[in-house]
Amino acid sequence: MTFSMRRIRAIITKDWKDLLKNSYILVSILLPLGFAAMLSRMSTDDSSMLSMPINLALVMTGAFVQASMMAEEKERSTLRVLLLSPASTLEIMIGKSVLSAIITLIVVIGSILISGINIPELFYFSIMILLSLIIFISLGTIIGLISRTVMETSIVGLPILIIFTYGSMLSSMFNSPIIAESISYLPTENFSSALVSLQGSGGFAEIKWNLLNMLLWAIGSVILAKFIYGKRRLDK
Amino acid sequence: MKYQIEVNQLTKAFANKPALNGVSFQIKRGEIFGFLGPSGSGKTTMVKILTAQLLHTSGSVKVFGNDVRNLQNPEQMKRIGILTDNSGLYDRLTIYDNLELFCKLYNVDVKRIEEVLEEVNLLQDKKTAVKQLSKGMKQRVTLARAILHKPELLFLDEPTSALDPTNKQQIHTVLRKLNEAGTTIFLSTHDMQEAEDLCNQVAFLHNGTIVELDTPQSLRVKHGDSTINIRLKNGTSVTVGLDEAGSNAIRDYMNNGELLTIHSNEPTLGDIFIKLTGRALQ
Ligand SMILES: Nc1ncnc2c1ncn2[C@@H]1O[C@H](COP(=O)(O)OP(=O)(O)O)[C@@H](O)[C@H]1O
Ligand SMILES: [Mg+2]
Repeated sequence: MTFSMRRIRAIITKDWKDLLKNSYILVSILLPLGFAAMLSRMSTDDSSMLSMPINLALVMTGAFVQASMMAEEKERSTLRVLLLSPASTLEIMIGKSVLSAIITLIVVIGSILISGINIPELFYFSIMILLSLIIFISLGTIIGLISRTVMETSIVGLPILIIFTYGSMLSSMFNSPIIAESISYLPTENFSSALVSLQGSGGFAEIKWNLLNMLLWAIGSVILAKFIYGKRRLDK
Repeated sequence: MKYQIEVNQLTKAFANKPALNGVSFQIKRGEIFGFLGPSGSGKTTMVKILTAQLLHTSGSVKVFGNDVRNLQNPEQMKRIGILTDNSGLYDRLTIYDNLELFCKLYNVDVKRIEEVLEEVNLLQDKKTAVKQLSKGMKQRVTLARAILHKPELLFLDEPTSALDPTNKQQIHTVLRKLNEAGTTIFLSTHDMQEAEDLCNQVAFLHNGTIVELDTPQSLRVKHGDSTINIRLKNGTSVTVGLDEAGSNAIRDYMNNGELLTIHSNEPTLGDIFIKLTGRALQ
Protein backbone atom coordinates (compact mmCIF):
# COMPACT_ATOMS: atom_id res chain seq x y z
CA MET A 1 0.00 0.00 0.00
CA THR A 2 1.46 3.33 -1.05
CA PHE A 3 0.71 6.61 0.63
CA SER A 4 1.23 9.98 -0.99
CA MET A 5 0.17 13.29 0.55
CA ARG A 6 0.42 14.87 -2.91
CA ARG A 7 -2.25 12.56 -4.28
CA ILE A 8 -4.49 13.02 -1.24
CA ARG A 9 -4.15 16.78 -1.55
CA ALA A 10 -4.99 16.56 -5.27
CA ILE A 11 -8.25 14.75 -4.49
CA ILE A 12 -9.17 17.21 -1.74
CA THR A 13 -8.44 20.20 -4.04
CA LYS A 14 -10.59 18.69 -6.77
CA ASP A 15 -13.48 18.07 -4.33
CA TRP A 16 -13.22 21.61 -2.99
CA LYS A 17 -13.43 23.17 -6.49
CA ASP A 18 -16.34 20.88 -7.31
CA LEU A 19 -18.17 21.64 -4.08
CA LEU A 20 -18.20 25.38 -4.73
CA LYS A 21 -20.20 24.69 -7.90
CA ASN A 22 -22.53 22.11 -6.36
CA SER A 23 -25.74 23.73 -5.11
CA TYR A 24 -27.12 20.48 -3.66
CA ILE A 25 -24.18 20.24 -1.29
CA LEU A 26 -24.20 23.94 -0.47
CA VAL A 27 -27.83 23.54 0.68
CA SER A 28 -26.91 20.53 2.84
CA ILE A 29 -24.35 22.74 4.51
CA LEU A 30 -26.67 25.68 5.12
CA LEU A 31 -29.72 23.72 6.26
CA PRO A 32 -28.36 22.62 9.67
CA LEU A 33 -27.34 26.21 10.38
CA GLY A 34 -30.91 27.30 9.62
CA PHE A 35 -32.24 24.63 11.98
CA ALA A 36 -29.84 25.78 14.68
CA ALA A 37 -31.18 29.32 14.34
CA MET A 38 -34.76 28.03 14.55
CA LEU A 39 -34.15 25.77 17.55
CA SER A 40 -32.38 28.53 19.44
CA ARG A 41 -35.65 30.49 19.41
CA MET A 42 -37.69 27.65 20.89
CA SER A 43 -37.18 27.19 24.58
CA THR A 44 -37.27 23.57 25.67
CA ASP A 45 -36.32 21.54 28.68
CA ASP A 46 -35.96 18.29 26.79
CA SER A 47 -32.34 17.32 27.26
CA SER A 48 -32.10 15.51 23.94
CA MET A 49 -33.26 18.66 22.16
CA LEU A 50 -30.19 20.37 23.54
CA SER A 51 -27.79 18.54 21.26
CA MET A 52 -30.22 18.45 18.33
CA PRO A 53 -28.43 21.20 16.34
CA ILE A 54 -25.13 19.33 16.71
CA ASN A 55 -26.65 15.99 15.74
CA LEU A 56 -28.38 17.57 12.77
CA ALA A 57 -25.12 19.10 11.60
CA LEU A 58 -23.35 15.76 11.94
CA VAL A 59 -26.01 13.79 10.09
CA MET A 60 -27.02 16.28 7.41
CA THR A 61 -23.63 17.66 6.60
CA GLY A 62 -21.36 14.81 7.68
CA ALA A 63 -23.32 11.86 6.36
CA PHE A 64 -25.18 13.47 3.46
CA VAL A 65 -22.37 15.53 1.95
CA GLN A 66 -20.10 12.51 2.06
CA ALA A 67 -22.82 10.23 0.71
CA SER A 68 -23.65 12.44 -2.24
CA MET A 69 -19.99 13.05 -3.11
CA MET A 70 -19.34 9.31 -2.99
CA ALA A 71 -22.48 8.38 -4.94
CA GLU A 72 -21.68 10.96 -7.59
CA GLU A 73 -18.17 9.60 -8.09
CA LYS A 74 -19.74 6.20 -8.60
CA GLU A 75 -22.65 7.36 -10.74
CA ARG A 76 -20.37 9.31 -13.08
CA SER A 77 -17.73 6.54 -13.20
CA THR A 78 -15.09 8.97 -11.98
CA LEU A 79 -14.34 6.63 -9.07
CA ARG A 80 -13.36 3.99 -11.61
CA VAL A 81 -10.95 6.42 -13.25
CA LEU A 82 -9.43 7.32 -9.87
CA LEU A 83 -8.97 3.63 -9.09
CA LEU A 84 -7.23 3.15 -12.44
CA SER A 85 -4.77 5.92 -11.58
CA PRO A 86 -1.83 5.38 -9.23
CA ALA A 87 -4.01 6.58 -6.31
CA SER A 88 -4.55 3.77 -3.81
CA THR A 89 -7.84 2.87 -2.14
CA LEU A 90 -6.61 4.36 1.13
CA GLU A 91 -5.56 7.62 -0.52
CA ILE A 92 -8.92 7.93 -2.27
CA MET A 93 -10.86 7.16 0.93
CA ILE A 94 -8.87 9.67 2.98
CA GLY A 95 -8.97 12.32 0.26
CA LYS A 96 -12.71 12.00 -0.05
CA SER A 97 -13.32 12.07 3.72
CA VAL A 98 -11.07 14.92 4.83
CA LEU A 99 -13.00 17.65 3.06
CA SER A 100 -16.39 16.42 4.36
CA ALA A 101 -14.92 16.20 7.84
CA ILE A 102 -13.59 19.76 7.75
CA ILE A 103 -16.86 21.14 6.39
CA THR A 104 -18.87 19.21 8.96
CA LEU A 105 -16.67 20.50 11.73
CA ILE A 106 -17.23 24.07 10.56
CA VAL A 107 -21.00 23.50 10.42
CA VAL A 108 -20.95 21.90 13.89
CA ILE A 109 -19.08 24.89 15.31
CA GLY A 110 -21.44 27.25 13.48
CA SER A 111 -24.47 25.42 14.88
CA ILE A 112 -23.08 25.61 18.41
CA LEU A 113 -22.46 29.34 18.09
CA ILE A 114 -25.87 30.04 16.56
CA SER A 115 -27.87 27.95 19.02
CA GLY A 116 -25.78 29.07 21.98
CA ILE A 117 -25.17 25.58 23.39
CA ASN A 118 -22.98 25.75 26.43
CA ILE A 119 -19.85 23.57 26.11
CA PRO A 120 -18.44 22.87 29.59
CA GLU A 121 -15.54 20.43 28.96
CA LEU A 122 -13.75 21.26 25.73
CA PHE A 123 -11.38 18.28 25.93
CA TYR A 124 -14.04 15.56 26.26
CA PHE A 125 -16.37 17.43 23.96
CA SER A 126 -13.70 17.47 21.22
CA ILE A 127 -13.25 13.71 21.57
CA MET A 128 -17.00 13.26 21.26
CA ILE A 129 -17.08 15.40 18.11
CA LEU A 130 -14.10 13.57 16.63
CA LEU A 131 -15.73 10.18 17.20
CA SER A 132 -19.01 11.48 15.77
CA LEU A 133 -17.23 12.77 12.67
CA ILE A 134 -15.68 9.35 12.09
CA ILE A 135 -19.05 7.64 12.59
CA PHE A 136 -21.03 9.91 10.28
CA ILE A 137 -18.45 10.25 7.52
CA SER A 138 -18.25 6.45 7.47
CA LEU A 139 -22.04 6.13 7.45
CA GLY A 140 -22.11 8.68 4.62
CA THR A 141 -19.56 6.64 2.69
CA ILE A 142 -21.69 3.53 3.19
CA ILE A 143 -24.88 5.31 2.06
CA GLY A 144 -23.05 6.71 -0.97
CA LEU A 145 -21.70 3.30 -1.92
CA ILE A 146 -24.97 1.40 -1.63
CA SER A 147 -26.94 4.08 -3.52
CA ARG A 148 -26.76 3.84 -7.28
CA THR A 149 -27.33 7.55 -7.85
CA VAL A 150 -27.05 10.81 -5.94
CA MET A 151 -30.86 10.97 -5.78
CA GLU A 152 -30.96 7.59 -4.11
CA THR A 153 -28.78 8.78 -1.25
CA SER A 154 -31.69 10.85 0.04
CA ILE A 155 -33.97 7.82 0.01
CA VAL A 156 -31.42 5.48 1.57
CA GLY A 157 -30.25 8.15 3.99
CA LEU A 158 -33.60 9.44 5.20
CA PRO A 159 -34.37 6.58 7.63
CA ILE A 160 -30.90 7.00 9.07
CA LEU A 161 -31.43 10.73 9.48
CA ILE A 162 -34.73 10.16 11.29
CA ILE A 163 -33.51 7.37 13.56
CA PHE A 164 -30.27 9.07 14.51
CA THR A 165 -31.58 12.58 15.10
CA TYR A 166 -35.10 11.95 16.33
CA GLY A 167 -34.36 8.70 18.19
CA SER A 168 -35.53 9.92 21.58
CA MET A 169 -38.77 11.27 20.12
CA LEU A 170 -39.38 7.92 18.43
CA SER A 171 -38.85 6.03 21.67
CA SER A 172 -41.37 8.18 23.53
CA MET A 173 -43.77 7.82 20.60
CA PHE A 174 -43.77 4.02 20.52
CA ASN A 175 -43.65 3.53 24.24
CA SER A 176 -42.01 0.12 23.85
CA PRO A 177 -39.13 -0.93 26.10
CA ILE A 178 -37.35 -2.77 23.30
CA ILE A 179 -37.34 0.29 21.02
CA ALA A 180 -36.30 2.55 23.87
CA GLU A 181 -33.50 0.15 24.75
CA SER A 182 -32.25 -0.08 21.15
CA ILE A 183 -32.37 3.66 20.71
CA SER A 184 -30.31 4.19 23.83
CA TYR A 185 -27.43 2.48 21.99
CA LEU A 186 -27.40 5.07 19.19
CA PRO A 187 -24.26 7.21 19.14
CA THR A 188 -26.39 10.35 18.90
CA GLU A 189 -28.24 9.39 22.11
CA ASN A 190 -24.94 8.75 23.85
CA PHE A 191 -23.64 12.05 22.57
CA SER A 192 -26.68 13.81 24.03
CA SER A 193 -26.49 12.16 27.43
CA ALA A 194 -22.73 12.76 27.63
CA LEU A 195 -23.28 16.41 26.82
CA VAL A 196 -25.95 16.65 29.53
CA SER A 197 -23.62 14.98 32.04
CA LEU A 198 -20.81 17.36 31.14
CA GLN A 199 -23.12 20.33 31.50
CA GLY A 200 -24.14 19.02 34.93
CA SER A 201 -20.40 19.27 35.74
CA GLY A 202 -19.86 15.54 35.40
CA GLY A 203 -16.41 14.20 34.48
CA PHE A 204 -14.95 11.18 32.77
CA ALA A 205 -16.60 8.76 35.22
CA GLU A 206 -20.06 9.95 34.17
CA ILE A 207 -19.46 9.78 30.42
CA LYS A 208 -17.10 6.84 30.03
CA TRP A 209 -19.80 4.42 28.85
CA ASN A 210 -21.05 6.99 26.36
CA LEU A 211 -17.52 7.44 25.04
CA LEU A 212 -17.05 3.68 24.78
CA ASN A 213 -20.33 3.38 22.88
CA MET A 214 -19.23 6.04 20.41
CA LEU A 215 -15.78 4.52 20.05
CA LEU A 216 -17.32 1.15 19.18
CA TRP A 217 -19.64 2.82 16.67
CA ALA A 218 -16.65 4.60 15.11
CA ILE A 219 -14.62 1.40 14.77
CA GLY A 220 -17.60 -0.59 13.52
CA SER A 221 -18.63 1.96 10.90
CA VAL A 222 -15.09 2.35 9.53
CA ILE A 223 -14.79 -1.43 9.18
CA LEU A 224 -18.20 -1.68 7.53
CA ALA A 225 -17.40 1.21 5.14
CA LYS A 226 -14.13 -0.45 4.16
CA PHE A 227 -15.88 -3.78 3.61
CA ILE A 228 -18.65 -2.27 1.46
CA TYR A 229 -16.10 -0.19 -0.45
CA GLY A 230 -14.32 -3.39 -1.41
CA LYS A 231 -17.57 -4.83 -2.71
CA ARG A 232 -19.30 -1.88 -4.31
CA ARG A 233 -16.66 0.53 -5.61
CA LEU A 234 -16.72 -0.82 -9.16
CA ASP A 235 -20.48 -1.00 -9.58
CA LYS A 236 -22.01 0.85 -12.49
CA MET B 1 9.99 -9.47 -23.72
CA LYS B 2 8.49 -9.90 -27.11
CA TYR B 3 4.85 -9.12 -26.44
CA GLN B 4 3.17 -6.26 -24.60
CA ILE B 5 0.06 -8.39 -24.16
CA GLU B 6 -0.31 -12.17 -24.25
CA VAL B 7 -3.68 -13.78 -23.75
CA ASN B 8 -4.00 -17.54 -23.71
CA GLN B 9 -7.22 -19.56 -23.61
CA LEU B 10 -8.94 -16.85 -21.63
CA THR B 11 -12.43 -17.50 -20.30
CA LYS B 12 -14.62 -15.10 -18.38
CA ALA B 13 -18.04 -16.08 -17.09
CA PHE B 14 -20.60 -13.92 -15.30
CA ALA B 15 -22.74 -16.11 -13.06
CA ASN B 16 -21.89 -19.18 -15.18
CA LYS B 17 -22.81 -17.37 -18.40
CA PRO B 18 -19.67 -17.10 -20.55
CA ALA B 19 -18.85 -13.60 -21.84
CA LEU B 20 -15.44 -14.59 -23.25
CA ASN B 21 -14.60 -18.15 -24.20
CA GLY B 22 -11.17 -19.51 -25.17
CA VAL B 23 -9.73 -16.20 -26.35
CA SER B 24 -6.04 -16.13 -27.33
CA PHE B 25 -3.95 -13.39 -28.97
CA GLN B 26 -0.63 -11.57 -28.70
CA ILE B 27 0.16 -7.91 -29.23
CA LYS B 28 3.67 -6.76 -30.14
CA ARG B 29 5.17 -3.48 -29.06
CA GLY B 30 4.21 -0.66 -31.41
CA GLU B 31 1.15 -2.41 -32.79
CA ILE B 32 -2.42 -1.14 -33.03
CA PHE B 33 -4.56 -4.14 -32.27
CA GLY B 34 -8.24 -3.94 -33.20
CA PHE B 35 -10.74 -5.90 -31.15
CA LEU B 36 -13.76 -5.84 -33.42
CA GLY B 37 -17.22 -7.00 -32.44
CA PRO B 38 -20.86 -5.98 -32.18
CA SER B 39 -22.44 -4.71 -28.98
CA GLY B 40 -22.49 -7.36 -26.25
CA SER B 41 -19.72 -9.46 -27.82
CA GLY B 42 -17.36 -8.95 -24.86
CA LYS B 43 -15.16 -5.98 -25.85
CA THR B 44 -15.55 -4.03 -22.60
CA THR B 45 -15.12 -7.22 -20.59
CA MET B 46 -11.79 -7.82 -22.40
CA VAL B 47 -10.57 -4.27 -21.72
CA LYS B 48 -11.50 -4.62 -18.05
CA ILE B 49 -9.63 -7.89 -17.74
CA LEU B 50 -6.54 -6.49 -19.48
CA THR B 51 -6.51 -3.48 -17.13
CA ALA B 52 -7.01 -5.54 -13.95
CA GLN B 53 -10.50 -4.21 -13.24
CA LEU B 54 -12.00 -7.67 -13.57
CA LEU B 55 -10.48 -11.03 -12.81
CA HIS B 56 -10.78 -13.69 -15.52
CA THR B 57 -12.28 -17.10 -14.80
CA SER B 58 -9.56 -19.23 -16.42
CA GLY B 59 -6.65 -19.04 -18.85
CA SER B 60 -3.64 -16.73 -18.65
CA VAL B 61 -3.35 -12.98 -19.21
CA LYS B 62 0.05 -11.30 -19.29
CA VAL B 63 0.71 -7.59 -19.64
CA PHE B 64 4.34 -6.40 -20.03
CA GLY B 65 5.36 -10.05 -19.65
CA ASN B 66 3.86 -10.44 -16.17
CA ASP B 67 0.55 -11.69 -14.84
CA VAL B 68 -2.09 -8.98 -15.23
CA ARG B 69 -2.57 -8.82 -11.44
CA ASN B 70 0.84 -7.08 -11.23
CA LEU B 71 -0.84 -4.03 -12.78
CA GLN B 72 -2.48 -3.24 -9.47
CA ASN B 73 0.76 -1.67 -8.33
CA PRO B 74 0.92 2.12 -8.99
CA GLU B 75 4.29 1.91 -10.74
CA GLN B 76 2.88 -0.53 -13.28
CA MET B 77 -0.38 1.40 -13.57
CA LYS B 78 1.63 4.43 -14.77
CA ARG B 79 2.71 2.46 -17.83
CA ILE B 80 -0.82 2.12 -19.15
CA GLY B 81 -3.46 4.62 -20.25
CA ILE B 82 -7.17 3.81 -20.40
CA LEU B 83 -10.12 5.36 -22.19
CA THR B 84 -13.15 3.58 -20.73
CA ASP B 85 -16.60 3.20 -22.26
CA ASN B 86 -17.90 6.16 -20.23
CA SER B 87 -15.99 9.39 -19.93
CA GLY B 88 -15.59 9.56 -16.15
CA LEU B 89 -15.00 13.31 -16.23
CA TYR B 90 -15.97 15.77 -13.50
CA ASP B 91 -18.82 17.67 -15.19
CA ARG B 92 -18.76 20.83 -13.12
CA LEU B 93 -15.00 21.28 -13.38
CA THR B 94 -13.19 22.83 -16.34
CA ILE B 95 -11.12 20.79 -18.79
CA TYR B 96 -8.00 22.18 -17.16
CA ASP B 97 -9.09 21.29 -13.61
CA ASN B 98 -9.98 17.76 -14.69
CA LEU B 99 -6.54 17.24 -16.19
CA GLU B 100 -4.77 18.99 -13.32
CA LEU B 101 -6.09 16.36 -10.89
CA PHE B 102 -4.59 13.58 -12.98
CA CYS B 103 -1.29 15.41 -13.45
CA LYS B 104 -0.95 15.38 -9.68
CA LEU B 105 -2.08 11.77 -9.30
CA TYR B 106 0.47 10.66 -11.93
CA ASN B 107 3.13 13.12 -10.77
CA VAL B 108 3.26 14.83 -14.16
CA ASP B 109 4.21 18.51 -14.55
CA VAL B 110 1.07 20.63 -15.13
CA LYS B 111 2.83 22.13 -18.19
CA ARG B 112 1.94 18.89 -19.92
CA ILE B 113 -1.75 19.92 -19.88
CA GLU B 114 -1.27 22.59 -22.54
CA GLU B 115 0.79 20.22 -24.64
CA VAL B 116 -1.78 17.46 -24.58
CA LEU B 117 -4.71 19.86 -25.14
CA GLU B 118 -2.89 21.19 -28.19
CA GLU B 119 -2.65 17.62 -29.49
CA VAL B 120 -6.39 16.99 -29.16
CA ASN B 121 -7.16 20.49 -30.44
CA LEU B 122 -8.84 21.80 -27.28
CA LEU B 123 -6.38 24.39 -26.04
CA GLN B 124 -8.80 27.31 -26.58
CA ASP B 125 -11.44 25.53 -24.47
CA LYS B 126 -9.35 24.71 -21.44
CA LYS B 127 -11.36 27.02 -19.16
CA THR B 128 -14.70 25.57 -20.25
CA ALA B 129 -16.67 23.39 -17.83
CA VAL B 130 -16.94 19.81 -19.08
CA LYS B 131 -20.75 19.83 -18.92
CA GLN B 132 -20.78 22.51 -21.63
CA LEU B 133 -18.81 20.42 -24.10
CA SER B 134 -20.16 18.42 -27.02
CA LYS B 135 -19.85 14.63 -26.95
CA GLY B 136 -16.92 14.73 -29.34
CA MET B 137 -15.06 17.32 -27.29
CA LYS B 138 -15.65 15.33 -24.10
CA GLN B 139 -14.24 12.27 -25.78
CA ARG B 140 -11.14 14.24 -26.79
CA VAL B 141 -10.71 15.37 -23.16
CA THR B 142 -10.96 11.74 -22.09
CA LEU B 143 -8.28 10.86 -24.62
CA ALA B 144 -6.11 13.73 -23.39
CA ARG B 145 -6.45 12.39 -19.85
CA ALA B 146 -5.55 8.86 -20.98
CA ILE B 147 -2.29 10.02 -22.61
CA LEU B 148 -1.36 12.72 -20.08
CA HIS B 149 1.35 10.56 -18.51
CA LYS B 150 2.65 9.22 -21.86
CA PRO B 151 1.74 5.56 -21.33
CA GLU B 152 3.53 2.81 -23.27
CA LEU B 153 0.32 0.88 -23.69
CA LEU B 154 -3.02 2.52 -24.38
CA PHE B 155 -6.43 0.85 -24.02
CA LEU B 156 -9.32 2.41 -25.89
CA ASP B 157 -12.86 1.08 -25.49
CA GLU B 158 -14.89 2.26 -28.51
CA PRO B 159 -13.23 5.69 -28.51
CA THR B 160 -15.20 7.11 -31.44
CA SER B 161 -18.54 5.40 -30.92
CA ALA B 162 -21.39 7.76 -31.90
CA LEU B 163 -19.05 10.62 -32.85
CA ASP B 164 -19.33 12.75 -35.98
CA PRO B 165 -16.74 12.25 -38.76
CA THR B 166 -14.75 15.37 -37.84
CA ASN B 167 -14.23 14.35 -34.23
CA LYS B 168 -13.53 10.80 -35.34
CA GLN B 169 -10.85 12.05 -37.74
CA GLN B 170 -9.27 14.21 -35.04
CA ILE B 171 -9.06 11.25 -32.67
CA HIS B 172 -7.61 9.01 -35.39
CA THR B 173 -4.94 11.59 -36.14
CA VAL B 174 -3.90 11.68 -32.48
CA LEU B 175 -3.81 7.87 -32.31
CA ARG B 176 -1.64 7.62 -35.43
CA LYS B 177 0.81 10.14 -34.01
CA LEU B 178 0.97 8.32 -30.69
CA ASN B 179 1.55 5.05 -32.47
CA GLU B 180 4.31 6.54 -34.61
CA ALA B 181 5.96 7.68 -31.38
CA GLY B 182 5.93 4.05 -30.20
CA THR B 183 2.73 3.64 -28.19
CA THR B 184 1.10 0.22 -28.40
CA ILE B 185 -2.67 0.50 -28.72
CA PHE B 186 -5.47 -1.93 -27.88
CA LEU B 187 -8.54 -0.60 -29.66
CA SER B 188 -12.00 -2.06 -29.16
CA THR B 189 -14.49 -0.95 -31.76
CA HIS B 190 -17.56 -1.92 -33.72
CA ASP B 191 -16.51 0.44 -36.52
CA MET B 192 -14.93 -1.70 -39.23
CA GLN B 193 -13.73 1.33 -41.17
CA GLU B 194 -11.87 2.50 -38.07
CA ALA B 195 -10.23 -0.90 -37.69
CA GLU B 196 -9.31 -0.91 -41.37
CA ASP B 197 -7.82 2.59 -41.20
CA LEU B 198 -5.82 2.19 -38.01
CA CYS B 199 -5.03 -1.40 -37.11
CA ASN B 200 -2.07 -3.62 -37.89
CA GLN B 201 -3.98 -6.63 -36.63
CA VAL B 202 -7.68 -7.22 -36.08
CA ALA B 203 -9.52 -9.86 -34.11
CA PHE B 204 -13.18 -10.52 -34.93
CA LEU B 205 -15.14 -11.25 -31.81
CA HIS B 206 -18.43 -13.08 -31.97
CA ASN B 207 -20.29 -14.33 -28.89
CA GLY B 208 -17.13 -14.18 -26.80
CA THR B 209 -14.95 -16.12 -29.24
CA ILE B 210 -12.36 -14.86 -31.73
CA VAL B 211 -13.54 -16.13 -35.12
CA GLU B 212 -10.74 -14.55 -37.18
CA LEU B 213 -7.44 -12.84 -36.43
CA ASP B 214 -5.04 -11.38 -38.98
CA THR B 215 -3.87 -8.19 -40.66
CA PRO B 216 -6.65 -6.31 -42.51
CA GLN B 217 -4.67 -6.86 -45.73
CA SER B 218 -4.51 -10.65 -45.43
CA LEU B 219 -8.13 -10.83 -44.36
CA ARG B 220 -9.26 -9.03 -47.47
CA VAL B 221 -7.17 -11.25 -49.71
CA LYS B 222 -8.22 -14.40 -47.88
CA HIS B 223 -11.93 -13.62 -48.04
CA GLY B 224 -11.94 -11.92 -51.43
CA ASP B 225 -13.51 -13.73 -54.36
CA SER B 226 -10.60 -12.95 -56.73
CA THR B 227 -12.55 -10.99 -59.30
CA ILE B 228 -12.15 -7.58 -60.91
CA ASN B 229 -14.93 -5.13 -61.59
CA ILE B 230 -14.75 -3.07 -64.77
CA ARG B 231 -16.91 -0.11 -65.72
CA LEU B 232 -17.11 0.77 -69.37
CA LYS B 233 -17.64 4.16 -70.93
CA ASN B 234 -21.03 3.06 -72.25
CA GLY B 235 -22.22 2.64 -68.65
CA THR B 236 -22.21 -1.15 -68.36
CA SER B 237 -20.12 -2.97 -65.77
CA VAL B 238 -18.40 -6.31 -66.20
CA THR B 239 -16.86 -8.71 -63.68
CA VAL B 240 -13.87 -10.78 -64.76
CA GLY B 241 -11.64 -13.32 -63.00
CA LEU B 242 -7.91 -13.04 -62.21
CA ASP B 243 -7.11 -15.47 -65.01
CA GLU B 244 -6.05 -15.36 -68.67
CA ALA B 245 -9.61 -14.77 -69.88
CA GLY B 246 -9.89 -11.83 -67.50
CA SER B 247 -6.59 -10.36 -68.60
CA ASN B 248 -7.55 -10.71 -72.26
CA ALA B 249 -10.88 -8.99 -71.63
CA ILE B 250 -9.22 -6.09 -69.83
CA ARG B 251 -6.60 -5.70 -72.57
CA ASP B 252 -9.31 -5.62 -75.24
CA TYR B 253 -11.37 -3.00 -73.40
CA MET B 254 -8.26 -0.86 -72.96
CA ASN B 255 -7.14 -1.24 -76.57
CA ASN B 256 -10.61 -0.28 -77.80
CA GLY B 257 -10.71 2.74 -75.51
CA GLU B 258 -13.87 1.45 -73.83
CA LEU B 259 -12.52 1.21 -70.27
CA LEU B 260 -13.63 3.77 -67.68
CA THR B 261 -12.65 2.35 -64.24
CA ILE B 262 -11.16 -0.86 -62.85
CA HIS B 263 -11.45 -2.19 -59.27
CA SER B 264 -10.49 -5.41 -57.57
CA ASN B 265 -13.39 -6.86 -55.58
CA GLU B 266 -11.83 -6.84 -52.13
CA PRO B 267 -14.38 -7.19 -49.36
CA THR B 268 -14.41 -4.65 -46.52
CA LEU B 269 -13.84 -5.90 -42.98
CA GLY B 270 -17.56 -5.37 -42.45
CA ASP B 271 -18.37 -7.72 -45.36
CA ILE B 272 -16.01 -10.33 -43.96
CA PHE B 273 -17.53 -10.04 -40.51
CA ILE B 274 -21.02 -10.66 -41.86
CA LYS B 275 -19.74 -13.58 -43.93
CA LEU B 276 -18.13 -15.19 -40.88
CA THR B 277 -20.83 -14.56 -38.30
CA GLY B 278 -23.99 -13.91 -40.27
CA ARG B 279 -24.33 -10.74 -38.27
CA ALA B 280 -23.65 -7.07 -38.92
CA LEU B 281 -21.33 -5.12 -36.64
CA GLN B 282 -23.93 -2.68 -35.33
N1 LIG C 1 -20.88 -7.20 -14.66
C1 LIG C 1 -21.54 -8.05 -15.48
N2 LIG C 1 -22.39 -8.98 -14.97
C2 LIG C 1 -23.05 -9.84 -15.77
N3 LIG C 1 -22.92 -9.87 -17.10
C3 LIG C 1 -22.10 -8.99 -17.69
C4 LIG C 1 -21.37 -8.03 -16.90
N4 LIG C 1 -20.62 -7.28 -17.75
C5 LIG C 1 -20.89 -7.73 -19.00
N5 LIG C 1 -21.77 -8.76 -18.97
C6 LIG C 1 -22.25 -9.52 -20.14
O1 LIG C 1 -21.14 -9.95 -20.89
C7 LIG C 1 -21.39 -9.80 -22.28
C8 LIG C 1 -20.34 -8.93 -22.93
O2 LIG C 1 -20.53 -7.58 -22.50
P1 LIG C 1 -19.52 -6.41 -22.87
O3 LIG C 1 -18.14 -6.85 -22.60
O4 LIG C 1 -19.99 -5.18 -22.20
O5 LIG C 1 -19.75 -6.29 -24.45
P2 LIG C 1 -19.38 -5.09 -25.44
O6 LIG C 1 -18.48 -4.13 -24.73
O7 LIG C 1 -18.72 -5.76 -26.60
O8 LIG C 1 -20.66 -4.45 -25.83
C9 LIG C 1 -22.80 -9.26 -22.42
O9 LIG C 1 -23.66 -10.35 -22.65
C10 LIG C 1 -23.07 -8.64 -21.07
O10 LIG C 1 -24.43 -8.70 -20.77
MG1 LIG D 1 -18.66 -2.08 -24.47
